[in-house]
Amino acid sequence: MTEILSINDLSYKRNLTSILKQVNCSAESGSIIGLLGANGAGKTTLMRLISGAAKGFHGEISINGNTQDIERKQLVSFSHQLDGVNSHDRMEKIAEFYQAVYPDFSESAFKRLAEFLELDLHQRLGNLSKGNRMKFIIAITLSRQVQLYLLDEPFDGIDSMSRKKIIASILQWKPIDATILISDHHVDDVANILDAVLIIKDKKMVVSEKADKIREEYGQSIEDYYESIYTGGKDND
Amino acid sequence: MKFNDKIPIYYQIKQYIYREIIINNLQPGQKVPAVRQLAVTLTVNANTIQRALRELINEKVLISRRGKGNFVTTDAETLTNLKRNVVEDQVSNLYDQLAALKITPDEMLKYLNNYINSRKEVHHD
Repeated sequence: MTEILSINDLSYKRNLTSILKQVNCSAESGSIIGLLGANGAGKTTLMRLISGAAKGFHGEISINGNTQDIERKQLVSFSHQLDGVNSHDRMEKIAEFYQAVYPDFSESAFKRLAEFLELDLHQRLGNLSKGNRMKFIIAITLSRQVQLYLLDEPFDGIDSMSRKKIIASILQWKPIDATILISDHHVDDVANILDAVLIIKDKKMVVSEKADKIREEYGQSIEDYYESIYTGGKDND
Repeated sequence: MKFNDKIPIYYQIKQYIYREIIINNLQPGQKVPAVRQLAVTLTVNANTIQRALRELINEKVLISRRGKGNFVTTDAETLTNLKRNVVEDQVSNLYDQLAALKITPDEMLKYLNNYINSRKEVHHD
């Protein structure tokens, strides 16, 4: 398999505070990768940096060999939290907006995903339950036809039925060679569907490992392994 | 499907397909569902399914036909061996656990016989 994402010696500071330190990692094309870490560990920041939404870091982030912010923005679909979107807008109208902004947005993919996720597109954003709002975010994010998808905490605070539906939609609609990075602080949600895990702790990437290798070589569940990294104090300073 | 998260998922998928073949849910010569369909049904990653299928093809339990998909073997010997291996796995677990309790092989047979008879009685009721 080829590498879609490679990060070399990435360090990032905001207001003189260090947020990420010397991060190194890579991702194989076609895989589903879990980005694990406690709240505040730097998962969202790392995703914002990969997608080109945040700038001013040291080191190198390369997607298929492209290192410039502008190039990366076109190659990555990052799950927006819809913060700036008017909550009175209907989902179908918001989708039209995305279609206009992103040339790679596929209307047919969006329709399929919305149907699969049982979204009623006439509903207004502000009226959606938390689960449906996240389903909508997932549908929009996966409708762009790109090589790398970044899903930031897609299961945070949503019910188990919505969670299962979202996971099924990822498995059903992920293009074979597309790569998905999913951040989560609750490992159990996604353990089954991961090819590999990246674990961030104390601003650093402390683990980059294949999921079945953790089970095979350490005889541990992904969750136990993750907890042992956090509580066992595998010290990398 | 509920997985044990301590055991590699691809391994558990292989066991699942062995079982499906042994209980004839997948019959000799039958086509195995497509990778993506299996991924959604079992809620696992397509790459993991692929790895399991690749090993099953190497073991000749499945036969891959280019462009057509994967099919359960029709070779009687392979199927017999498959069943024996899966059953022996279970028996060997039982044997190890009883041996750890210092039960002798003769006693094992006695316990097993008694137990089977008691299960039979339950079924007759």
